[in-house]
Amino acid sequence: MAHAVSASGWQIERHRSFLIGLSPSLIVLLLITLVPAAALVMTSFTPLQLTDPSGTFRFDDPLVNYRQLLHDDRFLASIAVQLKLSASSVAMQTGVGLGLALLLNGKSRVLEGARTAFLIPMVLPPIVVALIWKIMYTPDVSPMHRSLEALGWPVRSLIADPDTALWAIALADTWQWFPFTMLMVLASLQMIPDDPLEAARLDGASRWQLFRHIVLPYIRPVLVVCCLFRLIDSFKAFPLIYVLTNGGPGSVTEVTNYYGFIQAFNFSYWGYASAIATVMLVGVFVLSWLVGRMGWSEHDSR
Amino acid sequence: MPKPFQGRDRRGLLKTGVILGATALVPGLAAAQGGAKRYSGVTLNVSTFSAAYPKLLQQWLPEFEALTGAKVNFDAPSFPVYNQRADLELSTRGSAYDVVNVTFIYSSRWINSGWLTPLDDYIRNANLTPADFDIDDFLPGARAPETGRDGRLYGIPWTAEALLTASSRFDLVEKAGLAFPDTTDDLVKVLRAVNKKERVAGFVADNHYGWTFVPYLHAFGGDVFRKAPDDLFPTLDTPEAIAAGEYYANLLKEFGPDGAITYQPDQVTQALKLGRVNFTDAGQLHLAQLGDPATSRTIDTVKFGMVPKGPAGRFPGTAVHGLGIPAGSRQKEAAWAFIQWALSKETTGKAVAAGYGSPARRSDIDSPIFRSKQVINGSDLAGLSLDSIDLAARSGHMKYRTVSVYPQVDQQLNKAIELIVSGQLSARQAFQQAQANSIAELRRAGAAL
Repeated sequence: MAHAVSASGWQIERHRSFLIGLSPSLIVLLLITLVPAAALVMTSFTPLQLTDPSGTFRFDDPLVNYRQLLHDDRFLASIAVQLKLSASSVAMQTGVGLGLALLLNGKSRVLEGARTAFLIPMVLPPIVVALIWKIMYTPDVSPMHRSLEALGWPVRSLIADPDTALWAIALADTWQWFPFTMLMVLASLQMIPDDPLEAARLDGASRWQLFRHIVLPYIRPVLVVCCLFRLIDSFKAFPLIYVLTNGGPGSVTEVTNYYGFIQAFNFSYWGYASAIATVMLVGVFVLSWLVGRMGWSEHDSR
Repeated sequence: MPKPFQGRDRRGLLKTGVILGATALVPGLAAAQGGAKRYSGVTLNVSTFSAAYPKLLQQWLPEFEALTGAKVNFDAPSFPVYNQRADLELSTRGSAYDVVNVTFIYSSRWINSGWLTPLDDYIRNANLTPADFDIDDFLPGARAPETGRDGRLYGIPWTAEALLTASSRFDLVEKAGLAFPDTTDDLVKVLRAVNKKERVAGFVADNHYGWTFVPYLHAFGGDVFRKAPDDLFPTLDTPEAIAAGEYYANLLKEFGPDGAITYQPDQVTQALKLGRVNFTDAGQLHLAQLGDPATSRTIDTVKFGMVPKGPAGRFPGTAVHGLGIPAGSRQKEAAWAFIQWALSKETTGKAVAAGYGSPARRSDIDSPIFRSKQVINGSDLAGLSLDSIDLAARSGHMKYRTVSVYPQVDQQLNKAIELIVSGQLSARQAFQQAQANSIAELRRAGAAL
């Protein structure tokens, strides 16, 4: 009994030591994450605009911005654009990343070289990626447009056409971020034990059956985490839209994030822009929670 | 034995030389400031957007520092970044900056919100400003947007720029037996004759249509507001505005290069320098680059003119930027000394001699050295610009641009043209939508309609 008590006392001491050791970093973390987030939420309850600084700490009608959002057609349209862009770019990034990871999963110098080369887009600064695609999408100077024209398949500017502009953004975003999924899946593939694969092969399983029944269940949690990461990140899409389309033609590429930027930096409605950012924050939290609840990120127990 | 003028002695002599030289260059400033080193120990924070004139000032800062003893931190980020920072800083009455650029489109908002310091008292004070500063030498059309509703001056202009029309391949126009287009009808006639000749597209413009389209809106008899700045009711759904929108969108649709609505200012300049596009309307600072022998392939075929005249007349766009002192600055007197040095006749004259292409002083614009540099392939860019600025000052048609709520309407115009060119809406639908959205935005901003 005495032994049990001392063991529990030791555990308490251990936890306390961990807490004391961690507290400086926890305090810093709270300061740099929660305080700005709290400031954002607070601002969203005020009518703050730069031309009227008296609205800075006015909370007489805290929900005014949120009520206005419900009737703001441009905001509601921006959510639809955001969802289209997020869904298409995450799907493409996951598909391309997974496909290339499966192709490049092996042990040879060529594959190693290819894996490194494919990582380049991910390490480029987003504004550089945007400039690369600005060149690619400007028919006059684009190697892509010129090659297609030389082959007899001339293509009109993709970012000036309302039917293709959003897809063009999604394609550029996919180019930059498929390496993230590829890298994560490759790491996961290399952790798959050989035994079940060999056993299945001996039983005559085809490559598709191996993938469907052994590889996919094994890498599914990683794929879900990748999708979640990319989904959250897709809500922050900004440089590509700023450089390539400015939200146009018209409003076909105006995502919620970009609309919030316009409200804050072009029109100085900081309270309203903060409300937009808060809605996005809540949206991302809810999405993450839903994905977690669906249990896709757990290994198959069957 | 140390040789004379070596090491420290030589450095000291050079320093003295710089001070003496600077004092000789700006004698009025030194006298008015009560002698050199008046601001020893003072640090001035200056911010403008990155442009040719601020770059020259940055190079010449040691001259000012040697003259007054003040130390200057000069920050010049890109145009949008500068505006966002300055807007935020000025609105909070912060003291981070002592001298700022008074950006044209924000001038009314910044001045009439009381965010800047009136400069009249500094200009009148003979102890702070020598007579040869000569405020009347700055173009009246450039001083007007720097003046508040109270009639006081809040910024000293360093650039007065006009929107002009350019043809990079005027040889194609001549070959077609036509002259430089003077009217909107002429422009279409010329474009029909030269479009896609030798793979050169006819027309393109910076997709900031709230700037490039408005001369056409005015030319067709339309306007942005009923009567800016007193009556800010938008007038974007008038038959004249719709006709102008249809005409302009058609220029881009029928004669533009592929993806014309995605062209930004530098792309437009580049397209004309390489001769890929023939016509545009752009600011003279951009157009002057077509005369650069090192990078322009169209230097021998380029021709410039004023923006075309429409049924209602000719209404060139103009833009003015000036230096001002934030209301929150704690070093206002030293800040004024800086502005006075930066825009003294000596400094602006030196800038013009160094190739600066858009001065706001009449004496610089009239100087032979400036005129000789602004003649490109026979076109007098400076003369065209001056005529445009005078025209704008006389007609007052640029008043729409400095009202505090213009950024909201500006964006509606950008969208309207894009929607028509990309085929999403007709001109009528696009401009009716722009009108409705502008009214909603203006009401939201508290404008009395």
